[in-house]
Amino acid sequence: MNLLQDAKNWVRARSIHVAYVDVGSCNGCDIEVLACLAPRYDIEQYGILVHNNPREADILLVVGAMTPQWIDKLPALWAKIPAPKAAIAIGNCPISGCVYNRRETYILGPVSKYIPIAAEVPGCPPRPTEILSAVLSVAPTVFRDYEVKRP
Amino acid sequence: MRSVFWYLREFLRVPWIHAFLFAKTAPLLTPPYFREYPSLTDVECTHCFSCRMICPAPGAIEVLQEGGAWHPVIHRGHCLRCGLCVEACPEGVLSSGRILRWQEEDRTSFHATFHIAVDHTKCMRCGNCCVSCPVNKEQDPQMASGGHSSNDEVIMKIAGGKHTVIHEDRCVGCRTCEGACPNSAIQVARILEGLQGVAEG
Repeated sequence: MNLLQDAKNWVRARSIHVAYVDVGSCNGCDIEVLACLAPRYDIEQYGILVHNNPREADILLVVGAMTPQWIDKLPALWAKIPAPKAAIAIGNCPISGCVYNRRETYILGPVSKYIPIAAEVPGCPPRPTEILSAVLSVAPTVFRDYEVKRP
Repeated sequence: MRSVFWYLREFLRVPWIHAFLFAKTAPLLTPPYFREYPSLTDVECTHCFSCRMICPAPGAIEVLQEGGAWHPVIHRGHCLRCGLCVEACPEGVLSSGRILRWQEEDRTSFHATFHIAVDHTKCMRCGNCCVSCPVNKEQDPQMASGGHSSNDEVIMKIAGGKHTVIHEDRCVGCRTCEGACPNSAIQVARILEGLQGVAEG
């Protein structure tokens, strides 16, 4: 059992499926996430696959300030992801609303009010290296010994 | 069948296995000239709030007093790393990337002046703005309710039954008067100029 758990831990740290969702961003962080996929950063060499299907995902990257249209849709999308799962807030917007967090804007952040956020990557936008290191450091710690910790 | 052997032989080559298992690009390091979150230098902060005034992100920078010394505090999750606070600081308290070096080379600086606009149709000459103004308080400590003063060194006063702005250049942009005005008749506008090739100050 222990050996099996170790094998699961090893595999889960090296095969991370990622879905990303834009809950109303300016596309700046989207472009940085896409830059991770490009050959310069090449996220797939670390065993991370971005295919944007929540049913298959382990990690959800949340991009953008929370707009009212997403209030019911984001928890629904989060519920579709099979456990073990983790959400990472990319950029300032899901954390604080950043420059959109002013009077007369339709921002109902932070995102952590709606779904549990495992890690936050600040920056406007964060650098691809920061996104990459966040995904790589969150996945092993969150998914480690999932079967043991499961209630 | 021959192709199976071909594949087996191909995939059992040591260079192929090595490349398959250890193919990784070198880790990308953040170059030192990238604009990081502004960090404090050893220069003492004079709490002029230039950094706060120029900051485009709400809640990104605060100037706090701790143990008698003032220093700016950057809040991650709000900060854009635009570096404007580094550029705006007249003392060079903050540093980020090569902004300070460029500023020295190009001799660029920001110069802020303040314009006080009073809507005389809304103003009821109560003098609250003149009394609340901290710069007025320094120039004329005797100024009492009504905002009258015999001193011409104040920023503004009520003279001849009319709100009069005398020394707009002394305004530091604290906007205390805006808060003190019961009619929202007074507004302070910051006029920011970017200068190049001019000595700072």
